[in-house]
Amino acid sequence: MDSGKQRRFAKRGKGFLGLTRADAIRYFFGGNASLAIFILLLICVFLFKEAAGFLPGHHAGLTKWRRSGQEFVDILNVAVDGHTRLGSALNIGYFAELNATSKAEQQQLFSYRAVLQRVKGTVRGPAGRLKKLLKEFTEAGEKLAEAEQDLAGADLDPARQASLRAALPGYRAVIAEVEPRIAMLEERIAEGVAEALAGDEVWEGQNLVADDREAVAEAICDQFEAAEQKHPWVAGLEDFVREKKAERTPQLAGFKEAVTAFRNAIRPVKDLISPLREAASELKQQAIAAESAPKRKAALLAGAEATNDLAERARKLAAAEAVVVAAPPYDEVAEGFYAETAAFEAVVADLRKEIDAAVEALPATGELADPSARENLERFRNSLADYRESLDRAVARAKDWRHDEPYPQVKSFLVFLIGKEWITNSSWHDFYGLMPLFTGSLLISMIALVVSVPFALGAAIYVNQMASRREQNLIKPAIEFIQAIPSVVLGFFGIMVLGTLLRDVSQVSWLAWVPGFPLQERLNILNAGLLLAFMAVPTIFTLCEDALNNVPQAYASGALALGATRMQTILRIIVPTALSGIIAAVLLGFGRIIGETMVVLLVAGGKIQIPDFSKGIGVVGEAAHTMTGIIAQETGEVDRGSLHWRALFMVGLVLFSISLAVNWGAQIILRRFQRHGT
Amino acid sequence: MSDQEDRTGNPFAAPSRHADRRASRERLLAVLFRLLTYAILACAMGIFLGVVIRGAPVIFQAQAPFINTDFFTQLPETLVVYEDAQGEVRKLSATRFEEMRSANPDRQFSIVDSYSYSGGGILGPLVGTALLIAICMVISLSVGIAAAIYLNEYSSKGRFMAAVRLAILNLAGVPSIVFGLFGLGLFCLAAPNLVPVDEIADRSIFSFAIPFTSAAISFEGWGACMLAGGCTLAIMILPVIITAAEESLRAVPHGFREASLALGATRWQTIRKSVLPYAFPGMLTASILGITRVAGETAPIMFTAAVAHKDKLPWIGDDPEASWIGRLLEFFFQSVQALPYHIYTVAAKIPQSDYNRDMQYGSVFVFMALVFFFAALSIWLRARIRRKLHW
Repeated sequence: MDSGKQRRFAKRGKGFLGLTRADAIRYFFGGNASLAIFILLLICVFLFKEAAGFLPGHHAGLTKWRRSGQEFVDILNVAVDGHTRLGSALNIGYFAELNATSKAEQQQLFSYRAVLQRVKGTVRGPAGRLKKLLKEFTEAGEKLAEAEQDLAGADLDPARQASLRAALPGYRAVIAEVEPRIAMLEERIAEGVAEALAGDEVWEGQNLVADDREAVAEAICDQFEAAEQKHPWVAGLEDFVREKKAERTPQLAGFKEAVTAFRNAIRPVKDLISPLREAASELKQQAIAAESAPKRKAALLAGAEATNDLAERARKLAAAEAVVVAAPPYDEVAEGFYAETAAFEAVVADLRKEIDAAVEALPATGELADPSARENLERFRNSLADYRESLDRAVARAKDWRHDEPYPQVKSFLVFLIGKEWITNSSWHDFYGLMPLFTGSLLISMIALVVSVPFALGAAIYVNQMASRREQNLIKPAIEFIQAIPSVVLGFFGIMVLGTLLRDVSQVSWLAWVPGFPLQERLNILNAGLLLAFMAVPTIFTLCEDALNNVPQAYASGALALGATRMQTILRIIVPTALSGIIAAVLLGFGRIIGETMVVLLVAGGKIQIPDFSKGIGVVGEAAHTMTGIIAQETGEVDRGSLHWRALFMVGLVLFSISLAVNWGAQIILRRFQRHGT
Repeated sequence: MSDQEDRTGNPFAAPSRHADRRASRERLLAVLFRLLTYAILACAMGIFLGVVIRGAPVIFQAQAPFINTDFFTQLPETLVVYEDAQGEVRKLSATRFEEMRSANPDRQFSIVDSYSYSGGGILGPLVGTALLIAICMVISLSVGIAAAIYLNEYSSKGRFMAAVRLAILNLAGVPSIVFGLFGLGLFCLAAPNLVPVDEIADRSIFSFAIPFTSAAISFEGWGACMLAGGCTLAIMILPVIITAAEESLRAVPHGFREASLALGATRWQTIRKSVLPYAFPGMLTASILGITRVAGETAPIMFTAAVAHKDKLPWIGDDPEASWIGRLLEFFFQSVQALPYHIYTVAAKIPQSDYNRDMQYGSVFVFMALVFFFAALSIWLRARIRRKLHW
């Protein structure tokens, strides 16, 4: 019956709106299919829409940074920052050397204090209550004693006597009630302390041999029992350390003087900068206020217009009058900055001299006993040349600096793309530099790939080429299950289990040779990378297996017929043939890893800083932040439409572009593979 | 492959020590591949066991119902840790604590600590996740299956089709957090919404009043709500659904279509009567697979739908007088709790202590169990279909 209608429609040729029914159905389905393109376009449009205005806003911000002289201050500050780093290396070196003769004892003391803090933390609740109870107890006791004394002493008037007598049972009751509770709490605390000490948690991160551990535990127990009294072991250690230090100090007087001289040398520079800093800050505030001034004025005037209350109107008009629309005194303040350039050059010249003198006075590296001191001093000497150069550059840049030179548009874009700082909500200036996030993302992804590719590829080869049917039926669904594990669960696992496990393993002494071990933090790049590797395995495995599966059977047969062994066939024929498919699989796995959010948000550590690559592979022990993580963390908290908000959408755009590029690359490689396979 | 076989199987290979060494090296390699494979499974097992060992005690108990019903019938609440008169430290969820305190006014309690979201149960997040999944699947299945039908049944090769396929592939690779940003930009901040004329938001891109009413259509978005989250998830999962649905359509033999067309059926009749019924089981599997992925996602709903705190279930309205349409709107345009977001909250956003371990591991256990249930269902269904349908 339907077809009859259909034929009628067909005969007439035109249906609704000139469409036959069949065409309408076709277009309906076609419309749904083209939705994919539409959505992709929409994603672009909406990311661009929200990110739009970032570049102009960013440029305006940087322009303000320059015109208000903040840039100038930041240039000068390079001298201070570099100096601080060098000075702290020296300082660490000096103290390492000073402590060289009592290092083990200090370590014990340090561990003692750290563990004591943690143990205190575990019994914080009962201890707090005990303190309260003890106070109650002493107060009641004092009052009781007082009352008794009064009663026993001179003759009182009967009324007072009666009231005192009446109060006595109350005090006694309080004491009677509180006393057992105190005893109970004390017992509980003692138990809690013993329990905490028996467990491993409080010892985490303390490298103590068994004897020392025992001593520390005993000292802590005693500390709790006889509060406020130092355990003789601790007191002995402290005395020993003090003695050794006193012995050492005169020997190292020269060293110390040099260090102090070096660290004091920066004072004049700091003194020079600090008023400039204030001036720049104030000017920037003025600039920001001036920007919104016309709007505020207009709003006040409009409000005055709208109100009928005369007094209110007068008040608003006056307020509008008070709003200054004038441009901030850029040129005037800048003159002050220019005037300081010569002074800066002079102080830097002085600084150089003093540094040279201080370096002269430093002991030679070979003279030092402590390895850490030697290392720090070595590092100091190595970076000294860099610092001197940076001083030259700072002077040159300060001379060249012009507040009214327009900030180049391209440069402001580059500041976003390769800027090394992502600093937001700062009272000085917000920097939106992608690099810390990008390096974090990239580093974590690389670790994940390096770990997951061998596993996934090995498993794919095994399942596809060697496993029995039975094994295949076990492994393939199991790997599908892995794919189904939600990322937030993996992140949770990373926080709760893997982080602690990794840190504990890294503290095993015979693993100390591994770069980056022992790990300082639980949440770090390595932890996130391992979890992401686990997440990427199913993707890479499935795609690799497909690629291996697509190799024509004839290739393998041919190789086997020529006398190749099974393994030779796999490694020399099948894998190379499927190589482009495998590369595409790795690329797609990379795309999946770099776009993963929850694991890195929970586990990467959330430190917005370019990881310190000077440690070599040890860099994996550092905490980092990622592009996906920053979006997830900050988007919910910033004002809509603010520069920060737009910056986050820019990061989203970068991620989107990366994912498109990765996909596109994989497509190209796969297409070549298909040509090869057929 | 033993070296014996190797030598006999290959008449040209010289029987030498070299071959021996090669054979043992190859065996070693095979063992290595096998080890790699099972190492993956061992890791999975480790995670799974870790969650079960810590999570199961929260869910199951030794007494009568054997399941901790509170955990499934209460909303997340603040957990109160208090010390009773005997000096014992106990914990209770906030409502229970208040109940007990009002029941025993003369007893002394001192509150030691309290932890947000760590008490009560996970009913709210469970319901929220179910609703998000439902909305997402309704949208993505209707669009995805229609698109797959076009791609497999109607389309001919051409530039447009190549573009569509490329778009689908690229869409599949877009990070979920980018979908979240997109959903925030489109559904929460720019989608058309029906609002009273005098309440049009400043951010509205474009708005016009509907004649003769006091309402206006304003492109100001829906705010963070269930519908926005569902739509975002639907768009994210769309490529997966399209690809899987197309695959199950492709699995239906060509003969079916040809026979139907030869009998004079139109193309649509052919699709409806002799293609779709046979592709349906495959699509079902695909949709369940989609559910497992959608259920696990946190990033796309973070800013589009999910909230940490909600003190009522979604279907309980604020205003009992509201008309049914008002209620319906309120229902879809409210934010929800979601299980993955709840886990994120209790794992990372509140201070950690031993007292919130139960909530953490319990939620994770239930979540894993749910996701694994759906994954197992889809694997089982697929195996069944493969066994049953032979063409």
